[in-house]
Amino acid sequence: MLYREAGQFKTTYAADQQLFPIRQDRIGVITLLLIAFIGVPLFASEYWFSAILIPFLIFFLAALGLNILTGYAGQLSLGSAAFMAVGAYAAYNFQLRIEGIPILISFLCGGLTAAAVGILFGLPSLRIKGFYLAVATLAAQFFIVWCLTKFPWLSNNSSSGVISTQQLIIFGHELKTPTEKYLLVLSIVVVLALAAKNLVRSSTGRAWMAVRDMDVAASVIGIRLMPTKLLAFAISSFYCGVAGALYAFCYLGSVEPDGFSLDMSFKILFMIIIGGVGSIMGSFLGAAFILLLPILLDVLLPFFAGLFGLPFSSATVSHIQILIFGALIMFFLIVEPHGLARLWQITKEKLRLWPFPH
Amino acid sequence: MSKKIGDVILDLQNISLRFGGVKALTDISFDVREHEIRSIIGPNGAGKSSMLNVINGVYHPQDGKIFWHGQERRKMEPHMAAQQNIARTFQNIALFKGMSVLDNIMTGRITKMKSNFIEHALWFGRAKNEELEHRRKVEEVIDFLEIQHIRKTPVGRLPYGLQKRVELGRALAAEPSMLLLDEPMAGMNVEEKQDMCRFILDVNDQFGTTIVLIEHDMGVVMDISDRVVVLDYGKKIGDGLPDDVKNNEDVIRAYLGAGH
Ligand SMILES: Nc1ncnc2c1ncn2[C@@H]1O[C@H](COP(=O)(O)OP(=O)(O)OP(=O)(O)O)[C@@H](O)[C@H]1O
Ligand SMILES: [Mg+2]
Repeated sequence: MLYREAGQFKTTYAADQQLFPIRQDRIGVITLLLIAFIGVPLFASEYWFSAILIPFLIFFLAALGLNILTGYAGQLSLGSAAFMAVGAYAAYNFQLRIEGIPILISFLCGGLTAAAVGILFGLPSLRIKGFYLAVATLAAQFFIVWCLTKFPWLSNNSSSGVISTQQLIIFGHELKTPTEKYLLVLSIVVVLALAAKNLVRSSTGRAWMAVRDMDVAASVIGIRLMPTKLLAFAISSFYCGVAGALYAFCYLGSVEPDGFSLDMSFKILFMIIIGGVGSIMGSFLGAAFILLLPILLDVLLPFFAGLFGLPFSSATVSHIQILIFGALIMFFLIVEPHGLARLWQITKEKLRLWPFPH
Repeated sequence: MSKKIGDVILDLQNISLRFGGVKALTDISFDVREHEIRSIIGPNGAGKSSMLNVINGVYHPQDGKIFWHGQERRKMEPHMAAQQNIARTFQNIALFKGMSVLDNIMTGRITKMKSNFIEHALWFGRAKNEELEHRRKVEEVIDFLEIQHIRKTPVGRLPYGLQKRVELGRALAAEPSMLLLDEPMAGMNVEEKQDMCRFILDVNDQFGTTIVLIEHDMGVVMDISDRVVVLDYGKKIGDGLPDDVKNNEDVIRAYLGAGH
């Protein structure tokens, strides 16, 4: 009986409406934050920061953005990477063109620009649903990348739209080491993840889910479909935009429009499918899974191949990766549409009863 | 019955509604008085649900006028009905499947919440207090409908009868002045029907809510209605007190013809 809510009686509605109503969840989240902020910087290597942890956090943020739109508000989008591109290029341009603008404000403006573009491409959702909407967001994906390549002004006239991001200076201090960048990304992601959690447990989130589950009933209750859907597009794109800015400034340092490809949009979509549609935890698990699996396979596959004396090229490894991804995605779509987060939930429910089976 | 029935608050005049070639409603007039239980009956496909959809703005009739509290109503979108304190339940349960009972009922109060999404994100200002204040109201509804034990259950997991009850709860949470119920007792067993009847009568009695009810169970209709209107093939064939309607020749014929 390690994990349970029995005995934790809520005597007020306030107590029942806390961010994490179950004590063990609270302890878990606080422990995780302590490890992330203090433990990890003490022990992780540079490689871990720049190749694994920073991209993981950034993709978690992007997946969270997509999950708000698709998982909570029920509007399928295939344009997440493009909205990341908008955030990245907008943040770059704010830095470039406004003298002395703080970097965090640039990130914020990058997010807001992405939100505005998101609203624009969300307009079709007022008329079309599901598959057709997905096609409309696909248009956003191609159109935005095309714009960034086509208009040299956006990349300060660099060839083929490549931008090299400016220095990261916060309160007069330049962030150079991977550890510092990691801490910056982590702080932003934690704040935005908490904000997302607050949004989805409030009436904003309930309106999104209502529109997702049954739009006629939602409107009869008094929910206006247009502002509700557009808000979801705006906030989702804001999250993707900030993720894009972080991707450019804190991860790669130099990006090109083609880097924000349809492949990347799909990658983010797979994160929420595998992690769990309509769950913040799901975005976290999905991002971890999709980013870590290839690394794991990179190590494991040649190892097993060596064991059996099979010849193994890196091309084979990446083919097998694709196979495994495909199989997993089918598995989750068919067997567990709520993804890893749901499996986690079931484990928790079991734990609640443990050691008694019933 | 000792309750006071008030003035006409909703007056429909010569309503006609077509879907392409299908005439769902033809030249129908009837009114609803404050605090009454007004039933709409008729065989399958008679146009009963369409009538409710016209009242709360989901369908827009091609002809006819609607007066709400004496004012002629312009074309109205569904969300505006909620602002005018009209709530409803659906013939096919229209709950939000992915949400808990509590959250479903909380959405019923959405028009009464004033805080915006920034306050929600920061859990700041009005957001937190509103959440508490409305939770208290929602708990009253939950107590009233005797569904305390399933508050946190996802509605998809509930049996049919309870889902219907939760849907009523979501409508009641809005504290409506008029409640439109589309076959709230369909598919229920006798016991569940009795409970539902009791809730409807209590709502009407305690809160003075005006109720427009569609129901196939004649026993129930004749028992609890103040006035009944009868539709058949989109036309009105009877209107009046339950006893008058029961003895109306056209009504008897329509029902026998439809095999009821
Ligand atoms: N959205 C729609 N599009 C096309 N036709 C419709 C629509 N809604 C209703 N109809 C038609 O209007 C007529 C009346 O339907 P309605 O649902 O109002 O009947 P009802 O009296 O509620 O029947 P039931 O007892 O089966 O619920 C039917 O012929 C139906 O096919
Ligand atoms: Mg009907």
